Amino acid sequence: MELITQPLVIGLTEDAPLVLAAIGFALLYRLTGLINVAYAETITLGAYFGMWLNTSFGLDFYAVVLPAGLLAGAVSVATYLVVFRPAKQRNVGVLEMIIISFGLSIFLRHGLQFFFGYPTRFYDVPPPDTIYVLGVGVTSFRLLAVASVAALSLLLYLFIQRSSYGLKIRALASDEDLAKVSGIRPLAVTVLIWFLAGVAGGLAGAFLGVGSSVAPLLGWREFLLILMVVLVGGTWGLGGVILVGMATSVALAALALQFDQILYAQLVLIVAFVIILKVRGTRLTETAKV
Amino acid sequence: MLDWLDAFLITGLFHVVMITGLALLLHLQLGLARIANFGIVGFWGIGMYTFGVLYVQVDWSFGDPWQFLVCAAAATLVAGVAGLLVGWLIADLDTDGVLVVTLGFATAVQILATTQDDLTGGARGMGGLGFPYDIGSVKENEFLWLVILAAVVAAILLYVWRVHRSPYGRSLIAVGGNEPLARSLGKSTFRTKLWLFAVTSAAMGLLGAMFGVMVRFLDVGQIGIGITLAAMVGLVLGGTARVWGAVVGVVLTVGLFDIVVQSYLPLPKEWYTQAIPVLREAIFGATLIVVLLFRPLGILGDMQRDKLMRKIHGE
Repeated sequence: MELITQPLVIGLTEDAPLVLAAIGFALLYRLTGLINVAYAETITLGAYFGMWLNTSFGLDFYAVVLPAGLLAGAVSVATYLVVFRPAKQRNVGVLEMIIISFGLSIFLRHGLQFFFGYPTRFYDVPPPDTIYVLGVGVTSFRLLAVASVAALSLLLYLFIQRSSYGLKIRALASDEDLAKVSGIRPLAVTVLIWFLAGVAGGLAGAFLGVGSSVAPLLGWREFLLILMVVLVGGTWGLGGVILVGMATSVALAALALQFDQILYAQLVLIVAFVIILKVRGTRLTETAKV
Repeated sequence: MLDWLDAFLITGLFHVVMITGLALLLHLQLGLARIANFGIVGFWGIGMYTFGVLYVQVDWSFGDPWQFLVCAAAATLVAGVAGLLVGWLIADLDTDGVLVVTLGFATAVQILATTQDDLTGGARGMGGLGFPYDIGSVKENEFLWLVILAAVVAAILLYVWRVHRSPYGRSLIAVGGNEPLARSLGKSTFRTKLWLFAVTSAAMGLLGAMFGVMVRFLDVGQIGIGITLAAMVGLVLGGTARVWGAVVGVVLTVGLFDIVVQSYLPLPKEWYTQAIPVLREAIFGATLIVVLLFRPLGILGDMQRDKLMRKIHGE
């Protein structure tokens, strides 16, 4: 029994931020068609903003989570307005767009060290309470992370599928010209997408940061996994991303327990995802490859 | 001898020449075939570690220079096979898939170098490497190694220059321009991509092995994203479509920081430990954005096709 419950509980609680970050990344990817490598830094900045609010103003972790997410959302919108929107207006190609986002990722990752300092930083929080779930000890921060991930996923899903803004977002994603003719203002809606994605990334970062430490590579370490979850799960929509994200988290925990080494678990997952992508790529018909 | 030459300058020049080699190879992938390889450091690193592990851990019955030659050949071969595998994996994938696979490959190499620490030394590092010759002081040995590296990179430059003027080069350009069209004309784009990745990755592996000899101490910190970034920013700034783009761009980026800033600017000493390296990467990142936004083809601009192509296009 422990063989199943342990990875299940550890995976779902420890890697809940991963699912949240994947949702944000998937929003951007599916609705704007952009692979944004700098999303890694949205996560990192969320962790830094939370730590900064927490240590500079002595605020409680629960009080800084949301502001950290909102600040990360603002940065995300700023990157869109300053970099990606001009790039789109100049008709930059898909390949160049990825390299631009890679450049932005590197720029932010190193630039932020001039503001927050070079050494690894920590949240100043009292040791969290341990709560036992199915016999496995989980910290209260992690449970809050799970609860927020669940609530936010549901909210985002309802917002996109049910609200009128969601309809506009989906309309814009499927046909921009048609959406414009229907009276949708592309700028406002696109800014909204970038903001929501940024908030999701920032929250994920704050939860990751309070769980361990805050360092410039925090988001980048998660990025490959997020990218793979979104590319594989995204085929089945936002629900697919959430499911594949959760399955990845549990598999990561199970493999890490098996090998006693988290790096081996990551290696196995990288190989598995690459095989899935390869098999799917080969199955495409000749016209679909065009 | 060589009193006029600063030790920092030799290291800086070595770095510039090596990154130029990597950027030239990336030019074939990104500039001609338009495949964005984000895992350059993986191929370079697998060469470096294969060389290091074979050189240090295996009890060879013969000494240098044969030991070096055998190990370096093995490193080149392993990197080439890795390139063949990655080339096969990405052959059907779009740019998003290529990003995942090449990044994944580089991460896998880093994970293996960290976890197999009984072989690689992992985060502690691995010493015991040295030059395959001894002509005197350390500085003289390093200088000769720099000259040998320059010869290897010159050979790569010559190869890239010849590819531009060969049928193989034209099929690379066709893959980059319009792959379905190239395929419908009967060109095997699959084989072209496999060959491209096998050859360029093997050469990246050789450069990695030569770097290992130069630093004489390997640790996993060396196989970070910085190598990929340096090669990419150099190529993009100089011009992805041009042979000399890599050379011009790397001299202006890596050369500026690793030679001019490192050896000639009178900056406070404490800046060199953290501020300068961090600033270097931040500026490299910003350069990628600015160049691709305002001058996507870099300093040198568009490809100068050969006479026949110019005649066809009536230029």
